Parts: sequence; structure tokens; C-alpha cells
Amino acid sequence: MKSADQALDEARRAGIDLDLLDSNLALTYEQRVLRHESALELVLALREAGAAYEKSAPVAPEIC
Amino acid sequence: MKSLHLLLQRFADADLDFVVVGGFAGVLHGSSYVTDDLDVCALLTPENISKLRVALGDLHPVHRITHKKLSFLEHPPEGQKLPNLYLETDAGVVGVLGAILGVDGFDTLRKNAIEIPLFGRRCRVISLEDLISTKEAMGREKDLLTAKELRAIAAKRSLS
Repeated sequence: MKSADQALDEARRAGIDLDLLDSNLALTYEQRVLRHESALELVLALREAGAAYEKSAPVAPEIC
Repeated sequence: MKSLHLLLQRFADADLDFVVVGGFAGVLHGSSYVTDDLDVCALLTPENISKLRVALGDLHPVHRITHKKLSFLEHPPEGQKLPNLYLETDAGVVGVLGAILGVDGFDTLRKNAIEIPLFGRRCRVISLEDLISTKEAMGREKDLLTAKELRAIAAKRSLS
């Protein structure tokens, strides 16, 4: 069983934003869901924009 | 419009015995990772499948893994049970799993689950400890990273 300090240290070393976790833990369950929903909307919009760009972008000429 | 919480409300209103699992359960526990589907664990008896058809009917649910995206409202035939269900709906993608890795059956999962208030309903959510076990049992890199984050959440809770 890992101690709390060990777990926090491993998370920090893995690049996990512990301040963001504090911010999430201060929210109610409903606020967590709504915050996630906003983030998901942004992810989906970016994916869509990326796909649209891929379709419209001119193909680079081949260099011989 | 994708809305995982609308999907969750439909499940809660369906009079179905289920437990929220996966990435969305992580969000409820405080995870910062974004997931684009809702996973729940429930026994897919013929009775529960009928309840889900009523609950999801107007969201045009289709089997997302089938080649022709067969309608969930017509497949499987009445009276048939399923081990798992992977659906695409107007509100988003949902997986209904009969069991999950790392937890010994639905009854154990349900017994350990926490019950939370959510948008005027009560929902069962996999316990943080069981969620860590499932992520570690799956063993993929992204699951192991999520498990580290969940362990940090557990640590923060124990210190507060």
C-alpha cells in the first residue's frame, strides 16, 4: 500500500497537475460534470476544426 | 448535441440497477481527464434491455461496433440477453458492461459503490478504490496514468 506522500510524488513526477485536482475536488459533483462537459465540447470542436482543415488544406507539392 | 449527463439522467430515470464506471466515474471523483463516452456496469437481462430501449428510444441508439450501425431498438430481438452493449446515440457514446476487469462481479461493484446526488437523481458510482483497481487491471499506459491521478485524489482525500 502506497503512502499518501508517495502517491502524490508519483503523480507529480508523471506530470499530473495536482493544483488542478485541488480545484476539481473543491467542486460539487454537478459542477464537475458541467466543467467536464465544457472541456469535452472544446475537444470535439477542435477535432472538427482539425478534420475540416485536413480536407481543405492544399496538398504540398512533392520535392524531387 | 453531445451530453453525457443527459445520457446519465436517462439511465437514472430508467429504473435500472447500474453503476457508473470508467472515465466518467473518474470525473465524478475529481479526475481532470476528458472522456467522450459514458460507461456503466449493469446486467443486460431482457428486462433491462427493454427498460433501456424506452429510456434511450428518442436518442436514436445504434450499435456502434456493427458494420451497418444496427438500431438498438430492433436488435437484439426481444427476450435475448447480452454480455455488453456499445451504443452511439444523439447524446453521445455509451457502453453498458456486464462486468469489469479488476472487480469481482456486479454485486461486489454495486456493494462497494458510492451513491451520489446528481441533477435531482441518485446515482451509484464505482468506488475510488475499485476504479483504481480496474484501471490498473487494464494495464494500458493511459489507464496506468489515470490510476496515478486517482491515487493522488485518494491521497488528497486522506490528507484533508
